Amino acid sequence: MTSKTPFLLKRLLIVSFLLLFLLFGAMFFGLSMGSSGNGVKAVWQSLSGAREADSMLSAIIWRIRFPRVVLAALVGATLSLGGLVFQALLRNPLAEAYILGISGGSAVGAIIGILMGLSRFPGVSFTAFAGSMSTLLLIFLISSGQTILKKDSLLLSGVMINAFCSAIIMFLVSMTYDSRLHNIMFWLMGDLSTADIRQVGILAASILPCFVLIFCLSNSMNMLLLGKEMAQTMGVNIKFVTVTLLVATSFMVSATVCHCGLIGFVGLVIPHLLRLLFGPDHRVLVPACMLGGGAYMVFCDLLARVLPEQGEMPAGVITAMIGAPLFIFLLKRSDLRKQG
Amino acid sequence: MKQRCSIIILLIVIALLFLMRGQSAARDVTDQSGRQVAAPDDPQRVVSLAPSITGIIFALGQEDRLKGVTMYSDFPSEATTLPKVGSYVRLDLERIVALRPDLCIATKDGNPREVVKRLESLKIPVYVVDPKNLDAVIETIIEIGNLLHANERAKYLVWDIRSRIDLVKSLVAKAAHRPKVFYQIGTSPIVSVGTHTFIHELIMLAGGKNLAEGPISYPRFSREQVLALSPDVFIITSMEKDRAFERVKAEWSRWPDLPAVRNEAIFLVDSDLFDRPTPRLVDALELLVRLIHPELFEEEP
Amino acid sequence: MSTAIDIKNLSYSYGNGPVLKDISFSIQKGDFFIIIGPNGSGKTTLLKTISGIIKPQRGQLEILGQSIRSYTRKVLAKTIAFVPQMVQVDFPFTVSELVLMGRSPYLGLLGLEREKDIKIAEHAMAFTGVEHLARRRLDQLSGGERQRVFIARAICQDSEIILLDEPTASLDLAHQVRVMDLMERLKKEKSVTVIMVSHDVNLAAMYGDRLLLINKGKIVSMGRSDEVLTFQALEEAYGCTLLVDESPIGKFPRITLVPQKFSNSGPLEK
Repeated sequence: MTSKTPFLLKRLLIVSFLLLFLLFGAMFFGLSMGSSGNGVKAVWQSLSGAREADSMLSAIIWRIRFPRVVLAALVGATLSLGGLVFQALLRNPLAEAYILGISGGSAVGAIIGILMGLSRFPGVSFTAFAGSMSTLLLIFLISSGQTILKKDSLLLSGVMINAFCSAIIMFLVSMTYDSRLHNIMFWLMGDLSTADIRQVGILAASILPCFVLIFCLSNSMNMLLLGKEMAQTMGVNIKFVTVTLLVATSFMVSATVCHCGLIGFVGLVIPHLLRLLFGPDHRVLVPACMLGGGAYMVFCDLLARVLPEQGEMPAGVITAMIGAPLFIFLLKRSDLRKQG
Repeated sequence: MKQRCSIIILLIVIALLFLMRGQSAARDVTDQSGRQVAAPDDPQRVVSLAPSITGIIFALGQEDRLKGVTMYSDFPSEATTLPKVGSYVRLDLERIVALRPDLCIATKDGNPREVVKRLESLKIPVYVVDPKNLDAVIETIIEIGNLLHANERAKYLVWDIRSRIDLVKSLVAKAAHRPKVFYQIGTSPIVSVGTHTFIHELIMLAGGKNLAEGPISYPRFSREQVLALSPDVFIITSMEKDRAFERVKAEWSRWPDLPAVRNEAIFLVDSDLFDRPTPRLVDALELLVRLIHPELFEEEP
Repeated sequence: MSTAIDIKNLSYSYGNGPVLKDISFSIQKGDFFIIIGPNGSGKTTLLKTISGIIKPQRGQLEILGQSIRSYTRKVLAKTIAFVPQMVQVDFPFTVSELVLMGRSPYLGLLGLEREKDIKIAEHAMAFTGVEHLARRRLDQLSGGERQRVFIARAICQDSEIILLDEPTASLDLAHQVRVMDLMERLKKEKSVTVIMVSHDVNLAAMYGDRLLLINKGKIVSMGRSDEVLTFQALEEAYGCTLLVDESPIGKFPRITLVPQKFSNSGPLEK
């Protein structure tokens, strides 16, 4: 009697511990590097509670870098998980919030909220969410309410929606003399520099329930991959699961766009990578994406802060520069495997 | 016994005095945005969060207190050697904190409010100024002088500024008319300055009429609109390289009916001189008068 | 109660018009029930209605004596298992992962499998002869192997009724027989009611206890293979010339296609 799969729980725990370790490692490095200097020792001292730790250094590490690192982890987790969910729902490995245009829709909503003079929470968060839901509706309208099975039509609709959103954004920006939008160009390319511990806390409080919800539905996601009809015959409540996943994911994504602008490719690259490493079972992939995606984004943000001589790069540029070539590589590899 | 008691009491009182002195090393002032700021008595480590503020601090001779400036603080040239803390719209918090400032001076319009708030939450006092017109610039000079123990110098500076302005005013009073001035700060699109800018004030004081006056601070114009306004003088700022100026000048020269072209009154000026709220605004004013009313200077012996 | 499925006055239409028109029939427990008919006759729609995927607009559907509406999704999944025709799977599930999915109606929220579930899955894989493929990925299998994996998954659902949608459609001859034999074994060894939609009338004749011939959304006839497979009924339904005689290997009809080029000469001559 050969046992085919090791108990799921064991695998889940191993993968989670591994990635949690990776995440903490990334966060540690994130705390120890920055524009005012790098020092792993300083973070170590600060963590081990050495009271002689310089209060200025302490302030820099814990009050400036720490919120930012936490924000990066949250954003990375959200975008990766979002990508995973869209890929399962649309049965399309190329689906992801940015490519589908949902991030673009959130950005339009957020900008409208800023121009209306709303505060970030709850006003702009709400308009960003409205933007993402509208985009979702648009996607389903374009595909006439049926599942988008063909890769091409999904990408095409995403390209269209992104172009449309970009046009609206450019229009809004060019028409306004509002000084609040001064930083908009940077924000549009992904900006984690406005991390403030209180706002990060609010973001975490709104996103973490979504994480839990999605984890609970991970088994249903496995079955959804076989098709809606099949999943239904296996006992899955298709309507409930689909709507819940879509709303929760759009909400998470719009919340992160509202804070940090447009960051793309994370939801494409991380689920693919993790699927290659750990298999397609969502019960393992969901926590894996959360932790692995978080670690990845912390790392990207670190690069964004440390690479340029003066100032920093937008985080979205880093994720694109890493993500796009990596994705092409993954695509070619999977094509080869299909042929071979 | 009694002697020992009184000595102890005396020591305690002296200690308390020292403690109190330590606490009153800060004083509460109200800055130009209405906030209460606990500014230190004698700031030794000041970080300036805008190039204009850097300019004012240097003008007050207090550059020794200055420990950090923003990226484009290029006047005077000594400022470029100071440590940079990002640009004034994208301040680098880490670098600011690393300089251990005891006072930061920010501008209301340029610096993002959230950064000011975060600096405060890190227990760094931030004094916000709002030099939105010439009078406010003068106020700012006085207030910064007050903060940095340079009251004498500030008073002198202000007197100098005021008297030079008065001189210009009296000169301009003799002018026969107000030439129409188009002040161009962008080429694509063409952007000029509205009523709520320094430049407008300077143009008015220099005896000119700002063709772009109005509620919008940086209004846009199409080429047609500018031609229809028929400016007597074009003043173009050096936002881009000088070669761009030659191109812009050539563009306008294609319309020989424009009074500005006929009188060869198309000039290039240094933008930093004109749109930074520093004492150099008076230099800008003096330059403007020469450009707008050259006839007033030919008459001088 | 020996009726597995009882259908009364079932009607369903979408878009272009009615697909099922006032259908009534019942299926006995333990039957190997095969639905045949030409393309567009509504047979797949009928199957999907029985499985609960499609909701009929009119009529009643009872499963094991209870209206389908009274079943919760999970209980329905434990009662009826569905094997689709061809599933496009872009994601690299292994065979054992897929088969284990069949146990989900019995598992909790996260579907954490127990020892018992793994044993059931192993047994199902052995039953369908795919246990040696357990660690292989689905996209590395042939059509026939994949079909058997999906059947194994359905067996894991431990249901009284199994529905199959044209399971032999894209299989080679050996696999066609293999799948049909598998269904027969299921029926005999586990008393499962097998309901199948098939495009292959000969296989239907060989294996079906009862057949249902459906055309243009209406029942043409239902009953034993020799009752249903008359050449008049078949020719009318399928719209082509057919020859029906008794199979040389057993007491069931054999249907031979008679293309145009053979139709003028006599049936047994060259």
